[in-house]
Amino acid sequence: MRSWTVPAALLAVALAYPFVFRSNFAINFGVLVLFFALIGQAWNIAGGFGGQLSFGHAVFFGTGAYCSTILQLKLGWNPWLGLGASAAAGALVGALIAALSFRFGLRGSYFALITLAFAEAFRILTNAVEFTGGGLGLLIPLKRGAANFQFDERIGFYYTILALTVLSIGIAVWLKHSRFGARLAAIRENEDAARALGIDTYREKVKVMALSGALCALGGTFYAQYYLYIDPTVAFGVDKSVEMLLVSMIGGTGTVYGPLIGSFLITLVGEYTRAVTNAQGLSLIIYGGLLILIIGFLPNGLVDLFKLRWRRKRRA
Amino acid sequence: MANRKSRITRRRFIGATAAASVAFGVPTLLRAQAKPIKVGLVHPITGFLAYSGGQSRMGAMLAIDEINAAGGIKSMGGAKLEALLGDNQAKPEVGVSVVEQMQEAGVSAYIGCFSSAVALPATQAAAKYNTPFVIDVGASDNIVNRGLKNVFRLKPGFNACVDDAILGLGEINKAAGNPAKSAVLVHEESEFGTGTAKLLAGKLPSIGVEVKEVMKHANPTRDFANLALRIRGLKPDLLIMSNYQNEYVLLARTLHQQKVDLVGMFSVLGGGFNYKFVQELPDVAQHMIDTNHWFDPTNPKAQAKKKQVEAKGSLFTFEVYLSYNAVKFLAEGFERAGSADKDKVNAALAASSWSDHFMPYGPTKMVNGQNTGGKASIQQASKSDINVIWPTKFASAKPVFPKPKFS
Repeated sequence: MRSWTVPAALLAVALAYPFVFRSNFAINFGVLVLFFALIGQAWNIAGGFGGQLSFGHAVFFGTGAYCSTILQLKLGWNPWLGLGASAAAGALVGALIAALSFRFGLRGSYFALITLAFAEAFRILTNAVEFTGGGLGLLIPLKRGAANFQFDERIGFYYTILALTVLSIGIAVWLKHSRFGARLAAIRENEDAARALGIDTYREKVKVMALSGALCALGGTFYAQYYLYIDPTVAFGVDKSVEMLLVSMIGGTGTVYGPLIGSFLITLVGEYTRAVTNAQGLSLIIYGGLLILIIGFLPNGLVDLFKLRWRRKRRA
Repeated sequence: MANRKSRITRRRFIGATAAASVAFGVPTLLRAQAKPIKVGLVHPITGFLAYSGGQSRMGAMLAIDEINAAGGIKSMGGAKLEALLGDNQAKPEVGVSVVEQMQEAGVSAYIGCFSSAVALPATQAAAKYNTPFVIDVGASDNIVNRGLKNVFRLKPGFNACVDDAILGLGEINKAAGNPAKSAVLVHEESEFGTGTAKLLAGKLPSIGVEVKEVMKHANPTRDFANLALRIRGLKPDLLIMSNYQNEYVLLARTLHQQKVDLVGMFSVLGGGFNYKFVQELPDVAQHMIDTNHWFDPTNPKAQAKKKQVEAKGSLFTFEVYLSYNAVKFLAEGFERAGSADKDKVNAALAASSWSDHFMPYGPTKMVNGQNTGGKASIQQASKSDINVIWPTKFASAKPVFPKPKFS
C-alpha cells in the first residue's frame, strides 16, 4: 500500500460524509469528531511528538476563543481575520508558558502541573476583568452569513473544521518526517542525551509549545463561532484540557491519526450511550467502562488495533 | 397423528378467529388514535447540576403524565404528549447535540435547559428548525433578547428578579424601621451569580443600602472559612448571596458556625434555598430570606401538587414547579394552535394569556418571548417550613426581620 492511500481515502470519506449523512444531527456529529480531533492533535503535537505532557491545554483553547471574540465584539474585526490573530495569540501564550517553565527547568509532571496552573490563572483572570465580560461571558450576536463565520447550514462549519483538522494532521505528518520532528523525538526519548547530541532542547521545546498553542487556539475560535457563546469555565475549564488529552491517549499519543481515531470513538460512544439510555448517569458509567477496557487492552491506543491487523496481513 | 393435527377443532377455530381480529383490529385502533406530540426535555441529568436537572425532569414528567391522563391535547383529537429525555450534562456542546438528536426523532417542542450557558446555544440550534423552546429554568436575559421567535420563558429573568428583590427588601426593611444600612454581596463566578450581583450592586443604594464589598467565589468551593472571616470583619448589616445549591448551603453553614451576626441573610435566586436545606439544616436555614421563583401558597393546585411530590419522597423545589408549569404553558399553546405545526405553536405561545398556573403571576403576556407577567416573590425559612413573606398578597407569614442575634 502506498503512503498516500490511507490519508487520501480518509479525506475522501470526510469530504463525502455530509452528502451521505445529510441530517444536521449527523453533520453535527462530524463537526464534533473533527473538532475534538483538532484540539486533540494540538495536544498530541506537544504531548505525543514533543513529550511535553500538559494538563492545561485549555489555556490555548481559551486564548483563541477569547482573542477572536474580543477582536470581533470590541474592535469590529471580521472573525475570519480573528482566526489568524487567535493562532498568533495561542502561539505567543504557548511560547511564553514554555519559555518560563523550561527556563526554570520544569519537566514531566512538574510541567504538566504548571500548565494546569496557567489554565486556572487565565480562567480566574477572565472571570475578574471587565473586557472579557467577566463571569457573564461573551455572547456573539447572531448575524448569519459565511462572510461572518456564521454559516446558514452546518455543512459550512463542517468543511471549515475539516480544513483545520487536515491542517493539524498535515503538521503531524510533517513532524513525523522532518528534522524538527526528529529532534523532538530525541528530546521525548531522552532529553539529556538529546542535549549531549547538540540539540538546543530549550528552543525546540518552546517551538513545539508555540505550534501546539496556535493549533489549539484555532479550535477555540471555531468553538466560539459555532456556539456563539463563551465564558471562563467553558473556555479555560479543566474539562477541555481533559477532553483533548483523552482523545490522544485513547487514539494513540505520538501518532498521526491517533487523535482522529480517539475523537471518533469517544464522540461515538458519548452520543450512543446518551441515545440508548435515559437512566441517570448510566451513559457515563457505560462510557467509563468502555474507556477502561480500551486502556486495559490497548495501552498504546486504538492505533495499535490497526497496526496489529497490518502486521498480520503482511505476515500472511 | 397427522390427521389429528390438521383437524379444525372448535377451540382452534375460536383461537384463530381471536388472533385474526387482534391482528386486523389493532392497527385500526392505532390509526384512530391521534399521533403523539414529542416534547424534548433537555436537562442536566449528570454533572454538577445533576440534582437540579433531575428535579426539572420530574416536574416536566408530572405535567406530561397529568395532561395525558386528562385526555391529551383535545383540539388535536386527544394527542398525547410523549417525552423525549435528554441529558445536556451542563455542557453547551452536549446541549446542542441533544437538540439535534431530538430533531431527528421528530420533536415538536423543547423544554430546558437549567443552565444559561447551555440554553444560549441550544435555543439557537432549535431556531434553525423554528421549533418552539420553552425555558423552564435559565436566568440570563440574553436567552430571550436575541430576537429568536421560537424561544419563550414563563418565569422572570435576572433583571426582573433583582427589581423584585430590591422592591421587596426595601419594603421589608422600611416596615422594620430601616435596620439594614449596608450589605456585602457574595456570588458565584458564572453568568448567573455575576449578573445578579452586578445588578444588585447598582440598585441597592436606591433603597438606602450601601454595598461594602462584592465577593466572588469559584464553582465548586468547598471551604468558606476565610470568606466568612472577611465578612465578619466588614460587619455588614446584610449578606446577600447569589450562588448554586452546594455553595449556598456551605456558606450559610459556615456563617452560622462562626456565629456571624447579621440583620438579615438575604439571597437572590439562592440555589440552595429549598425544603431540602430546611429539613437537613433547620438551625442554619431559620430566618434566611430568599427572592426566588416560588409557587403561590394560597393556590390549592400548588398545595395539591406539593403533596403529590412529597408523597413520592421528593422535594417540591423550584425546578419542579417551574418545569411543571412550563410544560402546562406549552400544552396550552398546542391546545390553542390545534396542531403541532411549528409556526402555529410559536404564534399561539407568543399570543398566550394563560392563567391556569399556580405561580404568583397574572395571565401570561409575552414580549419578545419573555413573560412580562412573571414575578419573583420573597420567602423566609422557619425551622420546619418556608413561607412567602412578600408580596403581601400571596404571603403566608410575616417577615422576621431583623433576625435574632446569636448572643
